[in-house]
Amino acid sequence: MTQIAMPQPDPLILAKRERIIAGLQERVPAQWVITEEDERRPYETDALTAYRRLPLAVVLPGSTEEVAAILSFLSRERVKIIPRGAGTSLSGGALPQEDAVVVGVGRLNKVLDVDFANRTARVQSGITNLAVTTHISPDGFFYAPDPSSQLACTIAGNIAMNSGGAHCLKYGVTTNNILGVRMVLLDGTIVDFGGETFDQPGYDWLSLIIGSEGQFGIVTEATLRILRAAEGARPCLLGFDKVEDAGACVAAIIASGIIPVAIEYMDQTAIRICEDFAHAGYPLDVAAMLIVEVEGADAEIDVLLTHIEKVAREHGARIVKVSKSEAESAAIWKGRKSAFGATGRIADYLCMDGTIPTGQLPYVLNRIGEIVAHHRLRVANVFHAGDGNLHPLILFNANDDDELERAEQAGNEILELCVEVGGCLTGEHGVGIEKRDLMEKQFTSVDLDQQIRVKLLFDPDWLLNPAKVFPLNLHPLPLGRAA
Amino acid sequence: MSVSSLAPQNSLEVASIVRDAAARRQAIEIIGGGSKRALGRPTDAAITVDVSGLSGVTLYEPAELVVSARAGTPLQHVTDLLAQQGQMLPFEPADYRPLLASTGEPTIGGMVATNLSGPRRLHVGACRDAIIGCKFVNGRGEEIVSGGRVMKNVTGYDIGRAMAGAYGTLGVLTEITFKVLPRAHATLTLVYEGLSCDRAVALMSAAVASPFEVTAAAHIAEGNHARTCLRLEGFDASITYRAGRLIEDLAEYGQPQRLDTAPSQVLWREIGEARSIIGPADHVVWRLQLPPSRSAALVNSLRAMMDVSVLYDWAGGLVWLSHAAGDDMTAVRTAAKAGGGHATLIRAGEALRRRVAPFEPQATAVEKLARGLKQAFDPAGILNPGRMYAGI
Amino acid sequence: MQTSFSLAQLADSDTRESEKILRTCVHCGFCTATCPTYLLLGDELDSPRGRIYLIKDMLENGKKATVEVARHVDRCLSCLSCMSTCPSGVHYMHLVDHARKHIEETLPRPFADRLMRAVLATVLPRPELFRLSLFAARLARVTSPLLAALPFQWAKRTVAMLALAPDTVPMRSPYSEPVTIVPEGPPQGRVAMLRGCAQGVLAPEINEAAVRLLTRHGIEVVFAEGEGCCGALVHHMGKQEASHDQARRNIDAWISEMDGQGLDAILITASGCGTTVKDYGFMFRDDNAYAQKAARVAAITRDVSEYVLTLDVQPPTMPSRLVVAYHSACSMQHGQQIKTTAQGLLRKAGFVVKEVPEGHICCGSAGVYNILQPEIAGRLRERKAANIAKVTPSVVATGNIGCMTQLAGAVGVPVLHTVELLDWASGGPLPRKLMKNALLAQHG
Ligand SMILES: Cc1cc2nc3c(=O)[nH]c(=O)nc-3n(C[C@H](O)[C@H](O)[C@H](O)COP(=O)(O)OP(=O)(O)OC[C@H]3O[C@@H](n4cnc5c(N)ncnc54)[C@H](O)[C@@H]3O)c2cc1C
Ligand SMILES: Cc1cc2nc3c(=O)[nH]c(=O)nc-3n(C[C@H](O)[C@H](O)[C@H](O)COP(=O)(O)OP(=O)(O)OC[C@H]3O[C@@H](n4cnc5c(N)ncnc54)[C@H](O)[C@@H]3O)c2cc1C
Ligand code: SF4
Ligand code: SF4
Ligand code: SF4
Repeated sequence: MTQIAMPQPDPLILAKRERIIAGLQERVPAQWVITEEDERRPYETDALTAYRRLPLAVVLPGSTEEVAAILSFLSRERVKIIPRGAGTSLSGGALPQEDAVVVGVGRLNKVLDVDFANRTARVQSGITNLAVTTHISPDGFFYAPDPSSQLACTIAGNIAMNSGGAHCLKYGVTTNNILGVRMVLLDGTIVDFGGETFDQPGYDWLSLIIGSEGQFGIVTEATLRILRAAEGARPCLLGFDKVEDAGACVAAIIASGIIPVAIEYMDQTAIRICEDFAHAGYPLDVAAMLIVEVEGADAEIDVLLTHIEKVAREHGARIVKVSKSEAESAAIWKGRKSAFGATGRIADYLCMDGTIPTGQLPYVLNRIGEIVAHHRLRVANVFHAGDGNLHPLILFNANDDDELERAEQAGNEILELCVEVGGCLTGEHGVGIEKRDLMEKQFTSVDLDQQIRVKLLFDPDWLLNPAKVFPLNLHPLPLGRAA
Repeated sequence: MSVSSLAPQNSLEVASIVRDAAARRQAIEIIGGGSKRALGRPTDAAITVDVSGLSGVTLYEPAELVVSARAGTPLQHVTDLLAQQGQMLPFEPADYRPLLASTGEPTIGGMVATNLSGPRRLHVGACRDAIIGCKFVNGRGEEIVSGGRVMKNVTGYDIGRAMAGAYGTLGVLTEITFKVLPRAHATLTLVYEGLSCDRAVALMSAAVASPFEVTAAAHIAEGNHARTCLRLEGFDASITYRAGRLIEDLAEYGQPQRLDTAPSQVLWREIGEARSIIGPADHVVWRLQLPPSRSAALVNSLRAMMDVSVLYDWAGGLVWLSHAAGDDMTAVRTAAKAGGGHATLIRAGEALRRRVAPFEPQATAVEKLARGLKQAFDPAGILNPGRMYAGI
Repeated sequence: MQTSFSLAQLADSDTRESEKILRTCVHCGFCTATCPTYLLLGDELDSPRGRIYLIKDMLENGKKATVEVARHVDRCLSCLSCMSTCPSGVHYMHLVDHARKHIEETLPRPFADRLMRAVLATVLPRPELFRLSLFAARLARVTSPLLAALPFQWAKRTVAMLALAPDTVPMRSPYSEPVTIVPEGPPQGRVAMLRGCAQGVLAPEINEAAVRLLTRHGIEVVFAEGEGCCGALVHHMGKQEASHDQARRNIDAWISEMDGQGLDAILITASGCGTTVKDYGFMFRDDNAYAQKAARVAAITRDVSEYVLTLDVQPPTMPSRLVVAYHSACSMQHGQQIKTTAQGLLRKAGFVVKEVPEGHICCGSAGVYNILQPEIAGRLRERKAANIAKVTPSVVATGNIGCMTQLAGAVGVPVLHTVELLDWASGGPLPRKLMKNALLAQHG
């Protein structure tokens, strides 16, 4: 593969590899500096395995201070740095380069402090998203953003990508749930942004850092807003014979004045794949299904679900099935959250992530079908419908180069379609390497230059997670576009 | 040098004004409705740019929960339009004209530039959280687009959201898109009387940590008339149930009064506008943010030093505080800082505002970055220079 | 994931299987989060996804195993938590088995390492030898403080091994010989039970309790002639030939019972063994002589709890209400995907059953892992003990001898096999380990 070009490794850096490794070993115990080719290999990719680059070395620091020592050393040596969490990025966000050192935060996985009175939790950034909730759930609390990958992905990765999830319809995405971060700058300075209060004086650094895709610094700690869980939650399944009806039903539920905690969409292919894994009782004979979840006490839930059922029936829902037990609810969500992985049982896939205005759902779903068919491929659609964040999974055979190329082509057309109807290239997975070259479809070069100028403030030499987010021809800022 | 006043009618005109000013290195003061001009450090600008001509809602899709408006659109216009469809801006922006004794019509742009949020911020986030896209003219006179009109969008850095609270020092906002929410069918406020600050904060903390979705929690600390207010919103059956459970769980704090929808709306508007602490015009007003559990202790320590009027909002996370201008001007900020929070001087005479930094001074490393950020957006340093911090 | 194997490589059956497994992995990383070694070490290389990638690279390129690859594969507990988690159905067990074999064949290990493995592989599967060595171990334990001070891995391993030996070596079990036990009334069913090698020596009371429980419910139990170790121990060390030999012997023993008086099931009281016996079909898929027989054996193999569930066990007349923390062995919940059976049986038998927080994580026993990887095993044991303590039980129940030995000293309360409690509740004697417990005597 592939259509996306990577820069040539810098021979000067490759030439001083030994020295770089020695420098790392002076700053971090040698067992956490990974140098053998065999051992670097598993770090060559993330969850977008079509792209692979063997890093120069991998280092796994055990404290913020070690991160600081590493960064100041590497930046002095002008070595590129690839921050890494759990490597579940679907946009190639954690893809290394041959002349870069991967700095992984997997060992920084502790909860530092939970303050229930102020509803905050301070954690190390390498902790997994779900581990935070598991830690505080005995006290009835949870951390709201719930990417489907929450079992595995880290808070660090979530911050870098501004990750979302099914329940973000009600609770917002990562940027709405972080109060503070501790970040190490390239020169090794350790800076705290934000804090424990609701808002911060001065510029809104968190807005900039959250979603900066590892290009500003390495985040080692974060203060999270935690919430008290509702008394109960119950999902229901709505089955439709027509894809368009399901799309229209989403808008109708919201327009009726109810914001469920989640509205998730699955088409027939996705339903079958997930049911096979989770045995959640999904209806297999419908064209599309919505999982709609509401929260509250039992009586409140009943009222809301009755209302939703009415709206759904008016919009052509043939099946309305409400979860009857916690086990059933858990299975329903397990199926949904495992959708991507479970798809691996039948094929390789490319996962798209565009967002569209929900009013365009019926049209866009149709067009996606046409685009994929035109490229002689299949698609499974499973996504966050409430906020229009699509995840068409383009199914293909990774051992067939031609199919991969067609799949990528189809993916690009789908994303362009999203932009065309007023949406965007990525709703939660980030630009990474994957959508880098499409950025000019959504932004003018003036827009992108403004973003780049912010990047240059943190990283004037493009050392942090380079070759991502911005098309290569835009960095470094050419003369005439002077910073 | 006399101040020239310009009133552009569209973003192209804004861009060309800024470009010219940048070429001549002339400072610009951006004015929305002018209702909050008295806020922050006074600027000495050669040009004032009144953006109220950039007005009008450009997109409203109730079923998609989005609204876009030009930056000069009166806030009232937007809230009225949303109300017609049973919707609202989630963060409950308030009207500070009574507090600031200002006139003029608050605009969407001014609201965003100051990242203004009212009582519901506790539950649904701030103004910045509701921004899903914006257009602005940077200090080079380039019109920049960030974000868009869809709810979830991580395409490129979130620089649009960072315009919130930047007081116009990074760019002139021209259009902003927000996520909106349906208005609640009904509102119920539980009012507990006569609690001390400590007890009130404990009560609010317990209420917010309950599963019963308290959408606002405030304590109006007026001596013997102290009132602690918890707001529930939703459909009738739901709020009745939640109120019942809350009253039961919080029985140790006494039996609350109940205010239903109409009086609740009046009460919360007044809390949002900080009416209870406005006081005489020569009193200074501070707005403190703190970890909620520490707010009462901090207020008690200040009370030992001076006479203060206090209003707690956001379950204690926000404290409005006023005292006589002659009092020690360092006490509040020192105490806020010690409590893990920060204080903004919201109302004070111009002379005082030149002497006492209105905004909390920043840590050195952050300040250095802030200068860099200003440079990245406004290299000539012409947009609202000095409005937030000297040199920015 | 994309793979690149040549047609020649794919001619090999093991490689073909592995390539199929690798193709289903989508590299989503879900499995990393539930892997005990990743939890402790935070290094992708010590996670399932990392190991899969290491193995892929080694197999694709037909490389000899390197010390590095072996290090990370050796650290794998084979707990199969990753298989429970994997939404894509990646059969990690078969992949890692293949890798272990490849490592055993292509990597010469250092002398001390080889010696330790050889000793374990020789002694453990042979009950008589193992009994003798336990006596020896008790004597040798005096050397532990000296050994512990040495900076060598072999020394640490030896200390770990000695520490696991029980203080008293139990009497030889009556079931260490081929024997059939008949119920009082007319038999309702007939089962074979795996005698087990190490378990039979360390805890003969488990099979004794199981036999009482079964015969009480009208089931005839046979310990078949010629049956012995299931082969798991050596299998996990990559010693395929030895493990297949042991398995063949068991298959022969049970097939002759199946074709003789007939068997309803083959019962295993150690879930570690159960996972392996249930996999006999796969192990012998390419063996013309044994493929069919192995598949027949595997098809009727059950964990003892699965079988007891099919019996109509009467609730006890006097429930003990004893608080039992149920520790689900990895081989039970992940290897055999038996998740709730034992808990249900225990509840029905009148016990108050508590699930252990972080219950999906291994206790560190994992066959001989606690001897070969003492550091990681020790940390996992402490973590497990701390989680068990959170539910303040009076007793811990589990379905695997390995876990029992691993946890015995760590949790401060008796650790029993599920069938011991079930036997007691349905009229059997008070388990020996509970006798000392005054509190229980009151309950009992
Ligand atoms: C099956 C599956 C389902 C998914 N579902 C969702 C979903 O529902 N919603 C969603 O939003 N995403 C989803 N994702 C995408 C992915 O899980 C998220 O992007 C996640 O936040 C990545 O976290 P990570 O720890 O794996 O980070 P990585 O993949 O390791 O890195 C992601 C980015 O973060 C940067 N980074 C990592 N650590 C740091 C650090 N310490 N400091 C600075 N930058 C850092 C990296 O450089 C990279 O750019 C899914 C992925 C998979 C495989
Ligand atoms: C120091 C200070 C602190 C304040 N803190 C708060 C606070 O914490 N919370 C609160 O609710 N209110 C605060 N205010 C009040 C608030 O600034 C005004 O009440 C509100 O912004 C009035 O809106 P307006 O449209 O009249 O804006 P104006 O008063 O015209 O402008 C307010 C600010 O926004 C800028 N601005 C206006 N329009 C644009 C635009 N289109 N693009 C870029 N910038 C623009 C102005 O330059 C000015 O800095 C504060 C005021 C000051 C001076
Ligand atoms: S969970 Fe399964 S598909 Fe995902 S990385 Fe692990 S083994 Fe591969
Ligand atoms: S078997 Fe257990 S230790 Fe081995 S990779 Fe899987 S989860 Fe990790
Ligand atoms: S699993 Fe272990 S104890 Fe059981 S028979 Fe096999 S080797 Fe012996």
